[in-house]
Amino acid sequence: MDEQTHVPPGLIHFAALDQMLDLARANSLWPLTFGLACCAIEMMATGAARFDMARFGCEVFRPSPRQSDLMIVCGTINKKMAPAVATLYDQMPEPKWVLAMGNCAISGGPFVFPGQYAVVEGVDKLFPVDVYVPGCPPRPEALIEGILELEKKLTGKRRWPVAPAQ
Amino acid sequence: MSIEAQTIHRETFVLNLGPQHPATHGVLRIKLTMNGEYVEDADPVIGYGHRMQEKMGENRTYAKFLPNTARMDYVAALFNTHGYVCAVERLAGITVPDRAEYIRVITAELNRIASHLLWVGAFLIDLGGFTPLLYTFDDREQILDLLESITGARLTFCYYRFGGVCNDIDEQFISGTRAFIARLHSRMPMYHALITQNIIFRKRCEGIGPIPAETCRKYGGSGPVLRGSGVSYDVRKNEPYSIYPRLDFNIPVYQECDCTARYKVRMDEMVESMRIIEQSLDQLPAGPVMAEKVPKLLKPPKGDCYFNVESARGVFGVRLVSDGTDKAYRLKLRSPCFSNLSLFRDCSRGMLMADALALLGSLDLVIPDIDR
Amino acid sequence: MTLSELKTQLASLAEPGALISETDHAKRGTDLDVTVSAGKVVAAAELLDTARYTLEAITGVDWIAEKQIELVYDYTLWESGVRVAVRSRISRENPAIPTISAIFPGANWHERETRDFFGVDFTGHPDMSPLLLPEDATFHPLRKDFGA
Repeated sequence: MDEQTHVPPGLIHFAALDQMLDLARANSLWPLTFGLACCAIEMMATGAARFDMARFGCEVFRPSPRQSDLMIVCGTINKKMAPAVATLYDQMPEPKWVLAMGNCAISGGPFVFPGQYAVVEGVDKLFPVDVYVPGCPPRPEALIEGILELEKKLTGKRRWPVAPAQ
Repeated sequence: MSIEAQTIHRETFVLNLGPQHPATHGVLRIKLTMNGEYVEDADPVIGYGHRMQEKMGENRTYAKFLPNTARMDYVAALFNTHGYVCAVERLAGITVPDRAEYIRVITAELNRIASHLLWVGAFLIDLGGFTPLLYTFDDREQILDLLESITGARLTFCYYRFGGVCNDIDEQFISGTRAFIARLHSRMPMYHALITQNIIFRKRCEGIGPIPAETCRKYGGSGPVLRGSGVSYDVRKNEPYSIYPRLDFNIPVYQECDCTARYKVRMDEMVESMRIIEQSLDQLPAGPVMAEKVPKLLKPPKGDCYFNVESARGVFGVRLVSDGTDKAYRLKLRSPCFSNLSLFRDCSRGMLMADALALLGSLDLVIPDIDR
Repeated sequence: MTLSELKTQLASLAEPGALISETDHAKRGTDLDVTVSAGKVVAAAELLDTARYTLEAITGVDWIAEKQIELVYDYTLWESGVRVAVRSRISRENPAIPTISAIFPGANWHERETRDFFGVDFTGHPDMSPLLLPEDATFHPLRKDFGA
């Protein structure tokens, strides 16, 4: 059999059910409380009253990785911390998503210099990332935008339209 | 019943707390040896947030290191910058104009209030009460709005420069600050009714986590941890710097040494900070906000000096060794949380785990400040 | 104990000609600056402990050109804000100095950190495992010849 055989993903294909499941997952992301450094404070501020991540379904921060499906990596990943982060990622059940918040989680941030021995340059060196939110630290509005992008990745549609440039 | 079933065996077990844990305020790991619910030994393991700021101090020019200072103790970022900038100014012999000193004090004290508000919210979360966080963050957002209007940042400010500050403050900032102070004064009775007089908070904190003053002296504890143990030491009064000698304020000191004392110190410090800000706004002189003739590439003369400031968490010290070039030869950052955490092992022996966590929360730790 | 009494007692420990009384706190940040040999840091710590000082920081400085590592112990007296710096220089090849953690338990962590960064061996220290670096680290990053 050397030609490509198209194997359907499931015996029975529920397109509408899949869409509903994706919508449900996108609107009820349960983040892992995983603050490493400065960006954690902005994540807390996003969860607090003014910016209110709960509007988008993200309010249930679970301390246990077994009960969460979104890992918001906020802060610098250290070489000493990297095995712990990888373990947490492995402990999260599927489907799971990763949002790299802040410059340190994207690429090591302001701590990269020749001779830096302690910082892992970006969390995508450890496991795949779905959304990158740049900033040092990103504003809470930027984190919310990142959540909306993740929702778009899940459902194919954006909840709010992107504001036009002025 | 068999002999084995009749004899009760007791053994301790090792429990790992962290480095990912909602109550450790960052990446702190504590190896707990537990005897049931009682802590026999609590050994903190740090280094999970280590980013080698001190090496970067040697690799970057003095000005390029300024953003790093804000990222150590990011909750009270301006104090770290203040300590670093003043150490360099002390070595280089730069005099800061009066208006800039007043602006530094105003912004630093606003940052102190923001830091204490965040601590109150986080401490109550550690104890299990989520509600105060929402109120304190609301007040904190007002402060961040004010600081954002002049510094451009919400959390990691890079506002002070060698010789002054980079932006002047305007009328909008001054009137906004006065309005904020009036608002916070009116909110304090609400905080006291919600938290201070709350029966659960009182039972969780009164008499819990005693830290004797002698332990603080042996370990180098400072800040509200020290003042909650009866020692009236505050760098702003005992080793004054900037324009603090011209201002009239008290240092709250409580004798009980428990978590409640440390909480009350911080609540009173917020009120004192508001007094300091009001006096500074009243006394604010006109003038430049940057010293003249500060070279762009600063090369302080050879030598070393020390400068310490009273950060929201304790004494933040900078020991700077210069070899005459544009990069520091050695930059030692003395972190208050480092010494405050080192006394945790001694003080938590024999406590219930929940009480040990209340003690840990009352120390007000920011782990990247410890790990630098 | 007044500052001059402390100065007299420290003078007996200090190396000859090395005791500086820096009255200009405004210029250097310390009131008294003492240089002692490595064997005398414990005696200096005991003296300052009796005088009710607290240990604020231990700083290591790598003077690679002079092949020495300098250790600066910063002490503060709460009541008056007086600060004393005790310095000691040890050789860079085999840096070793007695620990003061028996007198000031806070020095336990400061010395572990200095060992992490400079490789200084604090003899008599109960636990010299890495504090800030990973458990299996063998390098000393703040040495001037450290090149990753």
